[in-house]
Amino acid sequence: MNQVETAAVRTEGVWKIFQQEAEEVTAVRDVSLTIDRGEFTALAGPSGSGKTTLLNTIGGLTRVTRGNVWVAGQNVTDMSNQALAQLRLNEIGFIFQAYNLLPVLSAMENAEFPMLLQGVDAADRRARVRELFERTGMSGLEDRRPGKLSGGQQQRVAVVRAVASRPALVLADEPTANLDSASSEALLGMMAELNRDLGVTFVFATHDEHVMERSKRLVRMVDGRIDSDELRT
Amino acid sequence: MHIRVIIRLALRNLRRQLRRTVLTASSMIVGGGLLIFTYALGDGSHENWIDAGVRTGSGHVTVEGPEFRFTKRIEDRLSTNVRGEVEQLLASPEMASQVLAVSARLTISGLASSPAGARPVQIMGVQPIDEASFSSFDEQLVEGRYLEDGDDLAAYVGVGLMDSLDLRLGSRLVVQAQDAEQEIAAQLLRVVGVFRSGIPQVDQSVIQIPLHLGSEWLGVGGDVTNVGVVVTDSDTVAGVAARLDSELADFVSRGDAYVMDWRESTPALASAVALDEFGNHLVWGVLFIIIAFGIMNTVLMSTLHRYREFGVLQALGLTPGQTGAIVLAEGLTLTAVSGFLGVGLGLWSTWYFVGDGLDVSGMISEDMTFSGVLIDPVIVPLFRLARLAQVFVFILAIGALASVYPAVRAARIDMAEAMKFER
Repeated sequence: MNQVETAAVRTEGVWKIFQQEAEEVTAVRDVSLTIDRGEFTALAGPSGSGKTTLLNTIGGLTRVTRGNVWVAGQNVTDMSNQALAQLRLNEIGFIFQAYNLLPVLSAMENAEFPMLLQGVDAADRRARVRELFERTGMSGLEDRRPGKLSGGQQQRVAVVRAVASRPALVLADEPTANLDSASSEALLGMMAELNRDLGVTFVFATHDEHVMERSKRLVRMVDGRIDSDELRT
Repeated sequence: MHIRVIIRLALRNLRRQLRRTVLTASSMIVGGGLLIFTYALGDGSHENWIDAGVRTGSGHVTVEGPEFRFTKRIEDRLSTNVRGEVEQLLASPEMASQVLAVSARLTISGLASSPAGARPVQIMGVQPIDEASFSSFDEQLVEGRYLEDGDDLAAYVGVGLMDSLDLRLGSRLVVQAQDAEQEIAAQLLRVVGVFRSGIPQVDQSVIQIPLHLGSEWLGVGGDVTNVGVVVTDSDTVAGVAARLDSELADFVSRGDAYVMDWRESTPALASAVALDEFGNHLVWGVLFIIIAFGIMNTVLMSTLHRYREFGVLQALGLTPGQTGAIVLAEGLTLTAVSGFLGVGLGLWSTWYFVGDGLDVSGMISEDMTFSGVLIDPVIVPLFRLARLAQVFVFILAIGALASVYPAVRAARIDMAEAMKFER
């Protein structure tokens, strides 16, 4: 098997340039990066360093200007919108800074949502979500709507939603930014546990020191480029 | 599976903004109800005008000589042979169920005179029993009685003409007209009854006499000037006319008969109905454009407030098309439910007036006429199933159209940008 097939993510010479009125803004410059399955990687850097944009290009939320991106062995660069939607559904889980749960669905329904789209049968969906809710201390809150949950609880539901559908990769954009330090620490512990026990691949975009400390690999970005890439013990 | 998800999300989103949903639905329900009610009133009015017009005139369908409608001369009359054929056809089992009344008339222009003076008149020779079913002249009696089968020299005269000729019940008058030999022939009549139609032109000029008397006086034998038909259901007019035209093809091709419906025989009435319908459609069109903008506003506002949510949905695996479908489903659900309730409200409010009708006599004068038709101040709404379906489909179409733009906006979002969107 070659590197592309074994890696959860591989980027090759990726550029992302935004057109803002008459001006071009380069958010990501020539980034080549490989993230293997089971990694717990943080993309760190100050605001405007391009970490979120890189995360978005990996997740197929925005298209690259130049270069190639492979996710779970599939080149996403020229994929149709339909194929990209399928890739996101089956291979990628997202965790957002603002939780982004669907307000009209309960915690259980939110967590089930990707599996509902995948066509997983109801009993299997429920079983997977209940198990993860138990692991994350969310048992008993299944029927609550997001508006009735704290920020930390909402983010835990978002993590369950991202993980329950068994994707190849979970992309988390500043997952702890809206949480207090205790909730943040608990969430990180929970994700580390899921990574260790279930082998879920996590990639974070963050400038939170706690996340960086917890990560097994830290990729620092500055001005759209990779500045350093270190493995941590 | 995705369709169920889309519908579930659409329903939950409608419930989420309950006040906005209820307000928009209310405007659609009231609009739909109003549309049904005004359609029923409009259709009822038109039916009333048409019924009054055709009964005073020559029926929903009339068979007459091809030139008679232009010349009104006795030599352009319908032969006894054609008249017999028409009456036989209309009495046949295939057509009888569609026919409410038939009247063979001998209608000619002439001069009526009394010691007080002379006036131009329209003399109608009629068979009293048939005519009583066909027209409403007998119901417009104000003095004396209507014509009877055994009457001789009897005349049923409009109230205006009575005044002009200074006649009383039982008075004698003389009518003169051109007979079959193109000679001027006179006939003495005695007034047995007086009617008031409310239409000045009719009250000042119409005299009805027994058909046999007219036939003898003018020497036309069994000939008449037209055979008029009133049908049971005005929707069948075209079918009855076509059937008669087809069955009488030999006479028609020889120029011995001509079949026409009320639109052709009374073009002024047809134009009046068409004009009124156009005006109604215009008002309803404006009403529904306003409602359409209301729906679009609701759905669009709901879409604009949920940019981040649409971004999340697409990030989770919905395609742009499926995201747009959620918005479209919201608009369609809202309009379908509102349309259904609107039709219900319209039916209920219309049903209330079906029995006694809506009395607008306070708004119009008692003898208001329009295109030669006396307007009945009591409007009885007319239900038509096709109208209900038409209104329901119309509301759905408006809802779908008004939801297309918000749906396209939702489908075309930039996911990365949508994630930055603050509620």
